[in-house]
Amino acid sequence: MASTSTIKKERKDTSALVDTQKNKKAMTALESFGRNAGLCIYALFALFPLLWMILCSFKADAQMYNTVFRFTPTLDNYEAVLLGTDYFRAFFQNLIVSGGAVLLTVVAGVPAAYALARYNFKKKEDVAFQILSFKFAPEIMVILPVFLIFQKIGLYDTYFGLIWVYQLITMPLLIWVVRGYFEDISVEVEQAAQLDGYKWFNVFFKILIPLVKPGLVASGLLAFIFAWNSFTFPLVLSGFNIQTITITSLRYIASDTVHYGQVAVASVIAVLPEIIACLFIQKHLVRGLSFGAVKG
Amino acid sequence: MARITLEGITKLYGKMTALDNLDLDVQDNEFLVLFGPAGAGKTTLLKTIAGVEFPQKGLVKIDGEIMNHVEPMYRNISMVFENYALYPHMSVYDNIASPMRSKLYKKDEAYIRAQVERVTQMMRIDNLWERRPSQLSNGQRQRVAIGRCLVRDPNVFLMDEPLAHLDAKLRHFMRGELKEIQSSFNSTTIYVTHDYMEAMSLADRIAVLNKGKIEQLGTSLEMYYTPCNEFVARLFGEPEINIFDGELTEQDGKMMVRAFGQPEPLCVEPDAAAVLTKGQHRQVHVGIRGNDVSFSFDKLPGWIQGSVYANEPIGNKVIMVVDVGGTHVLLVAPNDTQAEIDQPVYISLNMKNAIYFDADGETYIVRSDAERYTGKLAAAMEGR
Amino acid sequence: MAQLTLTGIHKRYDNAEKKLFKKKKVNDYAVKDLSFTCEDGEFVGILGPSGCGKSTTLRMVAGLEEITGGDAYIGNVRINNLLPKDRNIGLAFEDYALYPPLTVYENLAFNMRAKKMPDSEIKKAIDYVAPLLKVDDLLDMKPPALSGGQKQRVNIARAIVRRPGLLLLDEPLSHLDGKMRQALRHEIKRMHHEIKCTTIIVTHDQMEAMSLADRIVIMKDGELQQMGTPLEVYDNPENEFVAGFIGEPPMNLLQSIVHHESGQFFFTFENSPLRVEVPERYYNFLQNNQKVILGVRPVDVMVAKRTTAGSHVPISIYENLGDERRVSVRVGDMLLNMTTTEDVRYERGQMVQLEFNAEKTHLFHPETGSRIR
Repeated sequence: MASTSTIKKERKDTSALVDTQKNKKAMTALESFGRNAGLCIYALFALFPLLWMILCSFKADAQMYNTVFRFTPTLDNYEAVLLGTDYFRAFFQNLIVSGGAVLLTVVAGVPAAYALARYNFKKKEDVAFQILSFKFAPEIMVILPVFLIFQKIGLYDTYFGLIWVYQLITMPLLIWVVRGYFEDISVEVEQAAQLDGYKWFNVFFKILIPLVKPGLVASGLLAFIFAWNSFTFPLVLSGFNIQTITITSLRYIASDTVHYGQVAVASVIAVLPEIIACLFIQKHLVRGLSFGAVKG
Repeated sequence: MARITLEGITKLYGKMTALDNLDLDVQDNEFLVLFGPAGAGKTTLLKTIAGVEFPQKGLVKIDGEIMNHVEPMYRNISMVFENYALYPHMSVYDNIASPMRSKLYKKDEAYIRAQVERVTQMMRIDNLWERRPSQLSNGQRQRVAIGRCLVRDPNVFLMDEPLAHLDAKLRHFMRGELKEIQSSFNSTTIYVTHDYMEAMSLADRIAVLNKGKIEQLGTSLEMYYTPCNEFVARLFGEPEINIFDGELTEQDGKMMVRAFGQPEPLCVEPDAAAVLTKGQHRQVHVGIRGNDVSFSFDKLPGWIQGSVYANEPIGNKVIMVVDVGGTHVLLVAPNDTQAEIDQPVYISLNMKNAIYFDADGETYIVRSDAERYTGKLAAAMEGR
Repeated sequence: MAQLTLTGIHKRYDNAEKKLFKKKKVNDYAVKDLSFTCEDGEFVGILGPSGCGKSTTLRMVAGLEEITGGDAYIGNVRINNLLPKDRNIGLAFEDYALYPPLTVYENLAFNMRAKKMPDSEIKKAIDYVAPLLKVDDLLDMKPPALSGGQKQRVNIARAIVRRPGLLLLDEPLSHLDGKMRQALRHEIKRMHHEIKCTTIIVTHDQMEAMSLADRIVIMKDGELQQMGTPLEVYDNPENEFVAGFIGEPPMNLLQSIVHHESGQFFFTFENSPLRVEVPERYYNFLQNNQKVILGVRPVDVMVAKRTTAGSHVPISIYENLGDERRVSVRVGDMLLNMTTTEDVRYERGQMVQLEFNAEKTHLFHPETGSRIR
């Protein structure tokens, strides 16, 4: 019974109203200015590391320890990283591994989400929670046993191995969000489509998938970001064949000195795809994650 | 058109029995109404016939063939769901066109357009083709759902409370429309409602469901005039039928019934008395409808005294609740009747229309002139 | 015990409030120029379709919404700027809002305890009010164990336990099913009869308003349409909206054209041979070829028993509903509905003549909808 929340809502309504009544006049330009200023300061605070990283990528190593803005910009670091090393190879490998992981997650996860939403079987909630719990476990915790097993079964340093392990970080979120979306579609819509003459397959692709698309896109994108950023798994489970971007950044820590400038370049290029994607799908991200996932 | 037979259908949801060993025979082209309170199993029954729910036991037969394992799409059934089940990402036009675009029932676009036009005009939604369901009101959504059901020409129409969410005015209008096109239906129709007036108006026969079982199957007049038990009697009629305890006695060779703790007993019609004597009944329950109770504010001889418990004007009539020694009697009064709460009032019952129930089983025993309301005589005179 | 007077009440939502309450009508008046008086001890029903402004009006009276314009008085006190708690009102919303961990007794006592009333007085108040709404045997139970009807009774009991001057009920019966609704209607009426508290109930169900209220205020699109006793709004609707809204089944409202022929006026209808004699009292107001809307209730028109001079129309629908019979005939594109308690039977397509109860016809202007007298 929603009585408590209703009471809270009633009270909030009343007090909010009283506040509005009293403070209506007080909502001056000053308050609004103050609010915006505060938000700007916070934005600066949050974005500063990124900005600094970009700045560092243009600084020569010698000037690295200067205060932030006093330096002569140089493209040496870019030259060294992009042309000197096989950076792009790492970039594409990351793309393959992350992209492959997300693809596998979508192909396997969506039907799993459907099953968890529609069918009733014993211990269903336990299974669902178990899947979610994969996300809880820190990667460091499982990395050693996985490493040993992978060595034994020959999956060390292979695309397939990494893609498979990445499911631990990509699948739980997708299943939970998409499951919420499936649950929001009343089963009668499927039944109506069946009566209309559509085979179950058509029902799934023509009717169900379009309806879960927002959640699918949002969680798929997030899964991609998690996979793209992954550090621990590639660090331990891949060696020479596969060098993801995250690992590659380590390379610029040479034995004698740390080439911060180059590390910065590697990082800047690495985050570019994520930022661009997020900017484009920002709106859908919020809507997709909140709309279906939260069940009362 | 199709004859539908259900034999021994039992459906369980977990531990809950939704349908309990149910048998039903629906005639070809019949308009059957499933009527009953919430949770009686009406929707489950409909879904079992459609094939989207599977019974644990029993057979579903269409035209004599067992259909239990036949997929819904092959049963050639059209259904209106109670929660409309429209496709949210498609326009109204596409929603209604959808049955005709599936591989199984495929038709060409020109035909589809003509049919959609016909149906949307009938439902008065022909100006809404481009809209999505989220941009429609409840009433409009319901009409789209009905349209999608009617656009095909299936063997069976299944309608689950199609008028439930419409406001009173629209519901009236749609009921009229449905009644008018009912005769042009070339299909067997099974219609679910919890509104008794809708049931009585549209049905060839009514099946009253309660807790997964069929209480009574018959014409609407049979339900109203000769209900098979008190449960069915209470479902039909506005206001609800009055049912009170009575003790049968004899006075001057005629059978009478004592009720309300009154010294004067009430008359029992001779033909009813005959059946009651044969069954050797002593305690009975007497059912009297509100329009068979007269009232007066003046004390008249032989009338029963009570006090006004409530006086409700509801437009074209007033429903008065009279407290007679702790029992409430509901009666229908002219719409300008004024009464004070607790005002003394006197009532008289028209025993010609009394229905007698068994006091223990609450089942129907007899009413006077029963033949007039049941069977062939009634159907012939009903003007259908 | 208080008289409520509303004069020229306006309600308009500005941008801030729009965001708070998610209203669709911004810069549009939700309530326009509403004025009426609720006498001391009277039971008034505010009735109208959804979105007509009735709940907004109630909330303004309660103090949960600001009054944009106009004055509201309880007794002699202007309440526009008073906080809800200072207005001495009892409120019962349609969602019960009972405190689940407290017993019914404690729920009823809650407000009084907050005001630091002594226990003995609290007990006296509850003992008086509880039997009125039949919650006296529920006092030890907790809300989760109660049915919907019981919760609503407790809700209303809580609103009146402090004997407020004004009782406000917002759609209290809408979540209850038929039988429970009927029972609770009786209880509310009897409770009102007992404690004679000035009461306002908001509802969209015309039957509810008709059966409970002494007078009904009918609203549409924020404006007052008519105020009167149930019988007044039923017998004398002032405009087409009220005529079609009150009464079940709804009044027939037919588009017709007045025809003048050899000294007599007739109502004629497009695409129909039907002609109806115009009652004499309208003769001074009508002209030839004037368009009007003819309103007549289904009980006031019947199939003629004897042959008259009029034309025949075909029967479209015949329904036998046990308590009554309903017959509809086609008049051009429209359906004319009739109800009768007589035990008559008709065939579809049967040609019949109609008889109108001349006293009970109403005429409305086709554009404005107002009554032509």
